[in-house]
Amino acid sequence: MAKAVRAEPEPELEVPVPVRGPERGPIKLRVNGEKHELWVEPRRTLLDALRDDLGLTGAKKGCDEGTCGTCTVLLDGKPIYACLRLAIECEGHEITTIEGLAQGGELHPVQRAFIEEDALQCGFCTPGQILSVKALLDENPNPTEEDVRRAVSGNLCRCGAYPHIVRAALRAAKGLAERPGR
Amino acid sequence: MAKVVKVQTEFEGRFYEETIVVEGTEVEPWAPEQPLKLVGRPVPRVDGPEKVTGRARFTHDVRLPGMLHGKILRSPHPHARIKRLDTSKAERLPGVRLVLSHQNAPEIPWFRGQTRLFDTTVRYVGDEVACVVADDEETAEEALRLIEVEYEPLPFVVDPERALEPDAPRVHESQPNNLVNGEPEVYERGDVQQGFAEADVVVEGVFRTQTALHNCLETHGSVAHWDGDSLTIWDSTQHVFGVRFQLARALGLPLHKVRVIKRHMGGGFGSKNQAGKYAAIAALAARMTGRPVKIVLDRFEENLATGNRPATIQTLKLGAKRDGTLTAIFHKSILNAGAYAVWAPSASGPTKRLYACPNVRTEDWAVFTNLGPFSAFRAPGYVEGTFALESMMDELAKALGLDPLELRLKNYAEIDPITNKPYTTKGLRQAYERGAQLIGWAERAHTKRARSKGPKRVGFGLASQIWGGSGGPPAYALVKLNPDGTATVVTGTQDIGTGTRTALAQIAAEALSFPLDAVEVELGDTQWGVYAPLSAGSMTLATVGPAVRAAAEDAKKQLLDVAAQLLELPKEGLRVEDGHIATPKGERLPVAEVLRPLGNFQIVGKGARGPNPDDKNVNTFGAQFAQVEVDVETGEVRVEKIVAVHESGRVVNPLTIRSQLYGGVIMGLGYALLERRLDDPRRGLPVTPTLETYKVLTVADVPEIVAEMVDLPDPEANPIGAKGVGEPPIIPTAAAIANAVADALGVRVYELPLSPDRVLAALRGAQAKKDEEEGEEGEAS
Amino acid sequence: MKRFRYARPERLEAALRLLREPGAKALAGGTDLLTELKARTQEPELLVSVQGLQEPGLRGVREDERFVRIGALTTLRELEAHPLVRDKLPILAQAAQTVAMPQIRHVGTVGGNLMQQVRCWYYRHPFVRCWLKGGEECYAEEGLNHRHAIFGTSPCIAVHPSDLAPALIALDAQARVVGPDVEGELALEELYRLPDERSRARTVLGPADLILEILVPKPSEPTRVRGVYLKAMERATWSFAVVSVAARLSFEPGSEGVRARVGDARLVLGGVAGKPWRARDAEAALRGSPLTDEAIERAAEAAVAGAQPRAHNAYKIELTRALVKRALRSLLPP
Ligand SMILES: Cc1cc2nc3c(=O)[nH]c(=O)nc-3n(C[C@H](O)[C@H](O)[C@H](O)COP(=O)(O)OP(=O)(O)OC[C@H]3O[C@@H](n4cnc5c(N)ncnc54)[C@H](O)[C@@H]3O)c2cc1C
Ligand code: FES
Ligand code: FES
Repeated sequence: MAKAVRAEPEPELEVPVPVRGPERGPIKLRVNGEKHELWVEPRRTLLDALRDDLGLTGAKKGCDEGTCGTCTVLLDGKPIYACLRLAIECEGHEITTIEGLAQGGELHPVQRAFIEEDALQCGFCTPGQILSVKALLDENPNPTEEDVRRAVSGNLCRCGAYPHIVRAALRAAKGLAERPGR
Repeated sequence: MAKVVKVQTEFEGRFYEETIVVEGTEVEPWAPEQPLKLVGRPVPRVDGPEKVTGRARFTHDVRLPGMLHGKILRSPHPHARIKRLDTSKAERLPGVRLVLSHQNAPEIPWFRGQTRLFDTTVRYVGDEVACVVADDEETAEEALRLIEVEYEPLPFVVDPERALEPDAPRVHESQPNNLVNGEPEVYERGDVQQGFAEADVVVEGVFRTQTALHNCLETHGSVAHWDGDSLTIWDSTQHVFGVRFQLARALGLPLHKVRVIKRHMGGGFGSKNQAGKYAAIAALAARMTGRPVKIVLDRFEENLATGNRPATIQTLKLGAKRDGTLTAIFHKSILNAGAYAVWAPSASGPTKRLYACPNVRTEDWAVFTNLGPFSAFRAPGYVEGTFALESMMDELAKALGLDPLELRLKNYAEIDPITNKPYTTKGLRQAYERGAQLIGWAERAHTKRARSKGPKRVGFGLASQIWGGSGGPPAYALVKLNPDGTATVVTGTQDIGTGTRTALAQIAAEALSFPLDAVEVELGDTQWGVYAPLSAGSMTLATVGPAVRAAAEDAKKQLLDVAAQLLELPKEGLRVEDGHIATPKGERLPVAEVLRPLGNFQIVGKGARGPNPDDKNVNTFGAQFAQVEVDVETGEVRVEKIVAVHESGRVVNPLTIRSQLYGGVIMGLGYALLERRLDDPRRGLPVTPTLETYKVLTVADVPEIVAEMVDLPDPEANPIGAKGVGEPPIIPTAAAIANAVADALGVRVYELPLSPDRVLAALRGAQAKKDEEEGEEGEAS
Repeated sequence: MKRFRYARPERLEAALRLLREPGAKALAGGTDLLTELKARTQEPELLVSVQGLQEPGLRGVREDERFVRIGALTTLRELEAHPLVRDKLPILAQAAQTVAMPQIRHVGTVGGNLMQQVRCWYYRHPFVRCWLKGGEECYAEEGLNHRHAIFGTSPCIAVHPSDLAPALIALDAQARVVGPDVEGELALEELYRLPDERSRARTVLGPADLILEILVPKPSEPTRVRGVYLKAMERATWSFAVVSVAARLSFEPGSEGVRARVGDARLVLGGVAGKPWRARDAEAALRGSPLTDEAIERAAEAAVAGAQPRAHNAYKIELTRALVKRALRSLLPP
């Protein structure tokens, strides 16, 4: 049962917890394998940090309130909305943006599949869609169409590229599966 | 020689008299049977790599050294006078560089003088009041909250029917009434009264459509930068030359001092056809602060202030003979234009011309209200009008006991009912046939019986579409041919996500007989580009494509001239083949090799869009079929399948055109089932300004879509034989679904979207009517 | 967003102490709180991130003799995918799957989901200062109330948006809470309250109280218990519940098949009231009788009996009725 409680004195804490801000201060981010130190306020979102402080504009700001998916990036490999995450909360995590996907000038198979299936029109939602698909394929190399739909359900596309996006994801999965050494 | 002519042009479903310059670059059209190498092939987008890597630069992504950020203060009142405006606290906030308002901004007329850049009267929730420019967005936002405004609220009106009453509050004090243009727009042919008198059957209905929001994922915005007296604007726009024209006029600048750039744009759908106030504000602020200024609207502002597909109330009446022949149509449409309008879409467009009917009267009443102004939205008017017309056609078919498809074929228009001219091509009949086959139209009664179970009812519906899409002059292009055998196409059009870059590269490479990767397309810049019109009205490809082809043909001709002289061979025997000069002896010399003696030089080909045919109409057509399943317990409508078959002349790229078809259908589906802006009538307040409250379709909502083109190269339309396809596929979708729902339920929902509450209400209404009738029968017996 | 200070303690005591500072607020995944900070419906001085806490039991799903134990920091994604949840608490797995979209499920936590703020379009509107924001009146009462409550009396008619809460209440879950205002185990149902003139809060927790764990009792005879979570949405995915139903029935021993008699019944509705709404009359109507069509009809009627529709939301009554029927029908033993 719940009860109303106590007014006992608190024991002193051995180590005081650092309280940061509200002014700018240093935060450390690892983005696409590179370390960065930023000088920002605690209220800085990951999205603003990426776009404005690091110049990584591949993640877009379509709504800034967790409703469109254009800001999707990977946090430790999982897709998240960068607009709903404080940059300061990303310390100690690995962030992947669309800029980190192509390796040595070679497009990632998901990127190639998006081009081949024409899974984009204006292209504004595309970085987010691609990262959502990549995260899915990393976790589940053999997705069904239903899995793909679930995986990109948080990425709106106002141009309506959806049918082609689904095809591109399945094509990429197939291509990845057929790659030697997998 | 340039020739000035007066022509009738069709744009976004309306006809306009225009004075235009045409230049006679005559190019022989590609014949329908002519084999082409690149045109007609599913070439992947040429800008695909930029877009999938995040390199593609959108206006949102433009960052300049020293750039400031602007945020706009907007009116929370639907109608009010600004009595006092105090910006001093905001100005004192560290980091704030400028606060612009009516107190210090020049008086720049906006919406043809219906308001000003910063007016002292605000006429809708979201109207611009002031703008803070600061070092960063957070500071600008903070400062907005420090601006003190005292408003004197004025009476307001948001319901267009109420706005038409004589004692209604007036949106614009200086106007005698709330009608855009002061009066309704009336069209009449034949004698409608006579027509209804001759009819064996008359059906009538009142349809309501909702306000729909574009919700482009890239919100509207601009970045302005001055270099001396020259202004450069990066703008998220469908019309770089239009923005240049508008801003030059607003700021009193000569055209050559204004440069507008748009490389990539995250959706426009008509809402970016013109310059927004934010662009002019950014330009002014940049001049006043001496720093680049960026203004990007947030999602909330986007949904208040950048336009919408206006709501309509449409009364439609059809009269027909027993065999289905239409004798008369009457269509009255009231359209909620919002606070400002310089034109108005017409919902009666399809009524005037989709069917052969001798007696037609239409009235379009566009009404000012204290809501956000509308803007063009993918086939403005036609989507709304087709919903009403094609729904009513099904009611007529039902009343006559005819198959809906049969009724439509009975009234098939062989010549355009407005102009009385024949069409260059009209593939609607083929679209009906193919679509009926793909959906299983003939077997639908069987499918319905087999598939309807428990609370689920299956139904089928169809709807047809007519639209412009001819394109037309003026538009220009250059093809710059380099000595290494590469070419750059330059034109002032823009790729708004439709694949224009790719199609133009295909056309230029085809005409030059160059490989595709030897051709680069530069567009979206008024500095380098030569004039091309806005990307709207499904006209870009049919307008700019022929100009690009003409320029490429011109360059090729010059190339052959030069090659003949260098090779000392007669010009007549030479051809260009896949980037090589082919000689009569069967030699194939790379262009780079032939031109090498000339060193660094360039051939410049020039092309212009020629006129459209005088004696024929150029239009686009299509038919869509829907299969739906409706749950009569919950009212949920599930679309199972859409078949879309359209005719837009030649298919230049089957891959990207399928994207367009899907895109149109999906937007139409959302409009039919889901999308609606809701406005609190007591406060004139839109309550759905977010993507959580204004729902668009997700990937999981998309049913099976079968999309096909009737590929009918149209050599009479223009030398590339293509017409537009951006808008046609959204036009009939909602109507086809509404008809399928009516087929499933046996009763019709007259209002969009077809939401569960409306489906349930329609069923309840039908049940009540049935009970009443049975009750009467009972009494009689 | 207003500026704030930020701390990320590792020890629970430190977190609790920081949370007692005036203007402090707990930050878990931030997926709800950040939307409030941006809209300025919340303006905390200090954000205390609970993500660094090392307290055992805060993360992940475990079981002991009596309970399946869910740490408050468990993400929705972990919850939906966890074998214990899938096997033992399918209602909860189903509910978790319907929440938002992958990007939110990967970050949003169970505690945050239960404590999230309402989505009322007036409350979240920058130009509106409604009662819940400290203003005078509820705009929805006389305004556009399509998505608002049909049950309960409160000066604010916004509905509680959580999908997990109805499912967990149907499962008779408890919350383990620490803090100055509440401490100990609390039936989840008791966590929620309707805002009233005394307090605008929607839960009994104070600003410095933390949910540590959710305890879900394990049924003694799992084979006799069946449950389901159904959610009506405006579109196929990523939509808050227009109406949802969490239903859980146990069937009496000795009665089989279609004649199986209902023992205990729990029916909890989402999206229809300012808090998760127990349909007690419907539960009573079901107890002790076989799950016949008539019993299902009766229960569905009882579920909506006291509903008070407003100008634009009467459709929710029909929807609730249909959803309750559908849920119960799906629970008929094979
Ligand atoms: C686009 C979108 C769609 C959504 N759709 C759905 C949906 O369909 N169904 C649904 O149920 N939810 C939905 N949500 C809500 C989502 O589930 C919640 O935002 C999420 O679960 C909150 O968890 P969090 O850890 O991010 O909480 P936070 O945002 O960090 O916190 C939310 C609130 O809870 C408090 N809090 C957090 N943890 C604790 C704790 N342990 N003890 C006490 N207080 C705590 C915080 O102080 C804050 O007030 C949606 C959200 C978004 C943005
Ligand atoms: S910008 Fe983050 S979800 Fe839209
Ligand atoms: S491609 Fe334009 S929004 Fe998806």
